Amino acid sequence: MSWRKLPDHRVRNRLSRQKLARRLAGFVCAATLFTVGCSRPVELPPFVEIEHEISPQPARVGPVTVTLKLADATGKALTGAHIAVEADMSHPGMNPLFAEAKEAEPGRYQAHLEFQMAGDWVILIHVTLPDGKKLERQIDVRGVQPGVQSGRSTWRST
Amino acid sequence: MNPSSIPALETSESLPFDLMRVPGLGHLFRWRYARPLLQAPLLVLSLVMILHGLFGPTLAPKNLATTLSWLHFRGVLVLVLLCAGNFFCLACPFMLVRQAARRFFTPRFTWPRALRNKWLSVGLFALILFTYELFDLWSSPWWTAWLIVAYFLSVLVVDGFFKHASFCKFVCPIGQFNFVASTLSPFEVKVREQDVCTRCHTKDCIRGRREPVSDLVTIRGCELALFLPSKVGNMDCTFCLDCVHACPHDNIGILSRLPASELMVDPLRSGIGYFSRRKDLAALAIVFTFGALLNAFGMVSPVYAVETWLGKLLHVSHESPVLGLIFTFFLIVEPVLLLGLAAWLTRIWAHSPRALLPLAVRYTYGLVPLGFGMWLAHYCFHFLTGLYTLIPVTQNAIASLGRPFLGEPRWTLTGLPANVVQVVEIGFLVLGFAGSLVVTYGLAEDDSPNHPLRAFLPWAAVCLVLWCASLWLMFQPMEMRAMLMSG
Repeated sequence: MSWRKLPDHRVRNRLSRQKLARRLAGFVCAATLFTVGCSRPVELPPFVEIEHEISPQPARVGPVTVTLKLADATGKALTGAHIAVEADMSHPGMNPLFAEAKEAEPGRYQAHLEFQMAGDWVILIHVTLPDGKKLERQIDVRGVQPGVQSGRSTWRST
Repeated sequence: MNPSSIPALETSESLPFDLMRVPGLGHLFRWRYARPLLQAPLLVLSLVMILHGLFGPTLAPKNLATTLSWLHFRGVLVLVLLCAGNFFCLACPFMLVRQAARRFFTPRFTWPRALRNKWLSVGLFALILFTYELFDLWSSPWWTAWLIVAYFLSVLVVDGFFKHASFCKFVCPIGQFNFVASTLSPFEVKVREQDVCTRCHTKDCIRGRREPVSDLVTIRGCELALFLPSKVGNMDCTFCLDCVHACPHDNIGILSRLPASELMVDPLRSGIGYFSRRKDLAALAIVFTFGALLNAFGMVSPVYAVETWLGKLLHVSHESPVLGLIFTFFLIVEPVLLLGLAAWLTRIWAHSPRALLPLAVRYTYGLVPLGFGMWLAHYCFHFLTGLYTLIPVTQNAIASLGRPFLGEPRWTLTGLPANVVQVVEIGFLVLGFAGSLVVTYGLAEDDSPNHPLRAFLPWAAVCLVLWCASLWLMFQPMEMRAMLMSG
C-alpha cells in the first residue's frame, strides 16, 4: 500500500510519530550538548610519586604489610600525610578491609591488612597531604594465594 | 447463550489458593496497566545500572551495575522463583521497551520454523555462562553495563522483526532459566474451571480479544502460544497475565500447586508437546543443572589448578581454549556419561521398553530440583552475605553527583554472617536433592510400574553423585580472580 493510500488516521499517526521521533532526537542532542558544555574543569591532582611494596611476596591469605613511599616532584620525602588503606575483592559483596598507614620513617608509611580470601584484590590508597589536598591510587594485587590454613577456615570468613 | 457472557462457576472452596483472589493483589493483576507499572521501576533501575556501569567507579564492589546484577538481582530472582513463580518475566523491563518500540515498528515475520525450539537459547545460555567466566563479568561494571545494553538491543531486533514473543520463547537465556526454575514454583497461571473453557467459543486467551467489526486485537492473547485450557505447568509461561486480561469469563487465576509436580507427569502440553519427546528441553535442563555446578566451580580454588594443568598439557597460555575444554567436559561429556550410564542400567534392570535416548530425556527432568538447589545456594550466598552493600554503593553513587543527601558511604555494611548463610545454603542443597529423588521416583513409578525401584536406583545414584559434588564445591575455599578487573 502506498503512502498516499493510507487511511487518514494512519497518516495522522505516522506524522505524529515522525514528529515525536524528531523531538526525541532534538532532546538527545540538547542533553548531550548540555552535559558536555556544563561539565566542570578538572583540577589536576598534585604530583606525588607513590612507590608500594606488599609483603610477603607472593601475597597469601593472612596478614600482609603494605609499605608506601611518598615523594614530591623533586624526590623529597613527603612527611605528615594521612593515608587510609582500603582493600576490596574484585567480586561485589565481599567484606572490604580498612587500615590506617602509620609513618614508620619520614615519607615511608606502613599498613597492616589481613587478606581473607584467595584471588584478586584491589588496594585503594586514600592520601591526604599536610596541605589538605587529597589523592587516590589503586594497586591491583593479582592472584593472592590460598593460606597455609585449611581451606575451610579461609572460606567465606567474615 | 452468548459465549462471552458465561459466568465462572463459584466453587472456590474446591479450588487451590488463588493469588488473584487476594484483595488488592487481584485487583492490581487484573488492571490492564499492572505490567507496565511493575516494569517501569525495573527499567529505570536498568538505565541507572547502565549509566553507572559505563561512567561510574571501575571497581565492581563500588558500582551499581555489578552489585545489583550479580548480587541482588540474581538472589531476589531465585528466591521469588522458589517462593512464588516467574514474576521477574512479568516485570521484565526489556519487554516494556519492546512494547514502546512496537508502537513505531510492526513486526512482519514469523519466527523461522527451524528455530522453533530451545536449541538456540540453550546455546546462548551456555554462552552466557562461558562469557561470564571468560570475561569475569562480575568484576567489570563496564562489561556488565554493555551486557544489559546488548540485551535491550537483542530484544528490539528480534521482536522488531518477528511477531509475538519470539525473544522470550526462543532466545532469552534469562527467560529459559526462569522457565526451568519455575517448574519448581508453588504458583502457576491456570484456568480455574475447565468446564467454563469447554463452553467458551471465543478462545480469547489465545486469540486475543478483538473489536467486533474491525477484528483488530484490543487485548492480546498468549504470545507464547500457550492455550490455557491445555496448558500444563510453568514451562514457557512469562506470567505476563495477557490471558487473564483477555479471558471474558474471569476464569484464569494464579493458583497454588505442588512444586515440581509438573516434572513427574508427561501429558501433552499446549505450546510445548510432550516433555519426554523434547530433546531440546532436556538439553536445557542439563545446562541448567550441570551449569549450576560449573558456575560455582568457576569461583573456587580447584578451578585454577585445573586450568593451569590443562594449560601446561596443551601448551596454551590463553584462557579461552582451556575454559572451552572445561565447559565441554562439564556440559557435554559428563552429562552424556552419567545420564547414558543411568539410562543403560535402567533399561537392563527395569526392563524398560524405551530406547536409551528417550529414557535419558525422560529422566533428565528429575535433575532440575538438584540444579535449582545449587543455583539457590550459590546465588543466595552472594545475595545474603552482600545484602546491605546496596546501601553504601547507592550512597557513593549519589555522593558522586555532588549531593550526598544519603550521607557518606558506610562501606563496612556488608550482609549476613557467613556461618548463618552457610546453613541456608546447605538447606537449599538438601531440598534440591530431596526434590530430585522424589521426582525421579515418580518418573520411575510411572515408567516401570513393575520395577520402580530398579528404574529409580541408577538415577538416584546420579543425583547422589551430583549432590556430593555440590556439597564438595560449597566447602571449597573461594578464590575469585578477574583478568579484566581494572577495566
